[in-house]
Amino acid sequence: MKLTRRKLAASLISAGALAAQQTPTAAPAPAPADSDLKTARDRLAANAAALSATAIPLATEPAFQFKA
Amino acid sequence: MAAIGIDTFFAPLAELNARLKEREFSAEDLARAVSERLQQLGPRYNALALGLHQEAVRQAKDVDKELKRQRYRGLLQGIPYGVKDLLAYAGQPTTWGAKPYAAQVFDYNAAVIEKLSGAGAVLAGKLSMVELAGGGGYRLPSASLTGPGLNPWDRTRWSGGSSSGSAAAVAAGLVPFAIGSETSGSIVTPASYCGVTALRPTYGLVSRYGAMALSWTLDKLGPFARSAEDCGVILQAIAGKDGRDPGSAGKSFYYTPQYARPLKELRVGYAPADFAEWAEPATRPAFEAAMGVLKASGVQMMETKLPDFPYGAALSTILAGEMGSIFEPLISSGKVDELADRPQIAGLKASLELPAKEYLKAMRIRRLIQEAVARMFGTVDVLVAPGRAGIASKIDQPLDRGASGPQPKDAGFRPIIQMGNLAGLPALVLPCGFVEGMPVALQVVGAPYSENTLLALGRDFQAKTDWHKKRPPM
Repeated sequence: MKLTRRKLAASLISAGALAAQQTPTAAPAPAPADSDLKTARDRLAANAAALSATAIPLATEPAFQFKA
Repeated sequence: MAAIGIDTFFAPLAELNARLKEREFSAEDLARAVSERLQQLGPRYNALALGLHQEAVRQAKDVDKELKRQRYRGLLQGIPYGVKDLLAYAGQPTTWGAKPYAAQVFDYNAAVIEKLSGAGAVLAGKLSMVELAGGGGYRLPSASLTGPGLNPWDRTRWSGGSSSGSAAAVAAGLVPFAIGSETSGSIVTPASYCGVTALRPTYGLVSRYGAMALSWTLDKLGPFARSAEDCGVILQAIAGKDGRDPGSAGKSFYYTPQYARPLKELRVGYAPADFAEWAEPATRPAFEAAMGVLKASGVQMMETKLPDFPYGAALSTILAGEMGSIFEPLISSGKVDELADRPQIAGLKASLELPAKEYLKAMRIRRLIQEAVARMFGTVDVLVAPGRAGIASKIDQPLDRGASGPQPKDAGFRPIIQMGNLAGLPALVLPCGFVEGMPVALQVVGAPYSENTLLALGRDFQAKTDWHKKRPPM
């Protein structure tokens, strides 16, 4: 098959474009929301750890309905 | 009619009311002047959520008819005011400071607005706030539909949150008084940063009907005003039983500081570490001078320690549990992502993962806290601490930054805001000086329903100082 320079260029461009499409892109950096969510979860866990350090008598009922 | 000059915008309630009764100016004149000032200058501080000029003029005309017939309702009659934009006002947007609720309109009025209307006060506008009153935990002052609250003393600094607009509007003389709310620090912080007097009432004393719920067991509504005296007058008007609020204590409040215990009998607890170690170095002389004024009033100053509890963890856990339930539809629908502050969005999302046992554990510890605090108030009558340890931060400064440098070993009263809110205690914020041109304040905290004691102490303090009368540069 005889290739003209025009056909050769066109095939190279389309091949390049296809290759570019197929090249796996780097995974996106974690969105800020992900790290924020981890921070929020860590905060809940830290609170739970802090609460665990307090001894609660068995008879202590929760403060609801809350009244000052 | 006399012209309404700048002094009028900073006048106390009794003076304004007397001038109205003497027909120095009409309620309509005052409402027009205040609402125009609020419309004009409110945006300068990002303090205005919604101007209500026409409604204010209409209400004021009704007040004038009453005054003409000498039908007097008390010191609030004809006085314009503003409310934090978490209170429902029929037919007008109530945004809760948050984009997902920007078009929200209720068909009824909040109980506090009903009561103030009954006292003849004139609603001039709704004031800006941190979105959802800060629920979820926000990183930046910009966490608001109206942008960061700018401090009238220095617009590069924050006005505090979450009642940002209420504090800024009173400080700048845009309204004679305002209503704000506190779940954990949302009255104390902005009042301290803006240099205005404010009162966080005992839990249940003021109805929250028509107010956005962030935490059923922590939320409270209270006044920002020119003085302790004015706070007492306003609290008397807004307190009282309300069957529509399940948290209502069923109690009224009568402002009678003259019947409070003599100051020389008052035992005032304080922690030296708060003033000598935790307070930022530049603020210490101001706090020291303020404590000197308190001592000079004859009170008995006593070094005191707070009962040892994980206050911050208990409060955060209870708040997470309740706000998660309240805002579950917002969070589950994904509309939470429309909020302005990413950490706040994350905090709200994470709240749905809180185990029930953690919430209940925190509520059981809260019971222990209430009992321990009650015992403490057997040995002291009032606690005093800095409102905040320093001046207002810059508006671009993250609020969740960790402390730098070594921390004092003695915790002092550092968790007093969390403790006070967990136990439902009242607190009065008293401006007590300036540092680098910015206000600092004391907070005095008492046992439940001790508002008259706090107000009597505040009134005496303000009779000897003029920090609460200072005006920011305009």
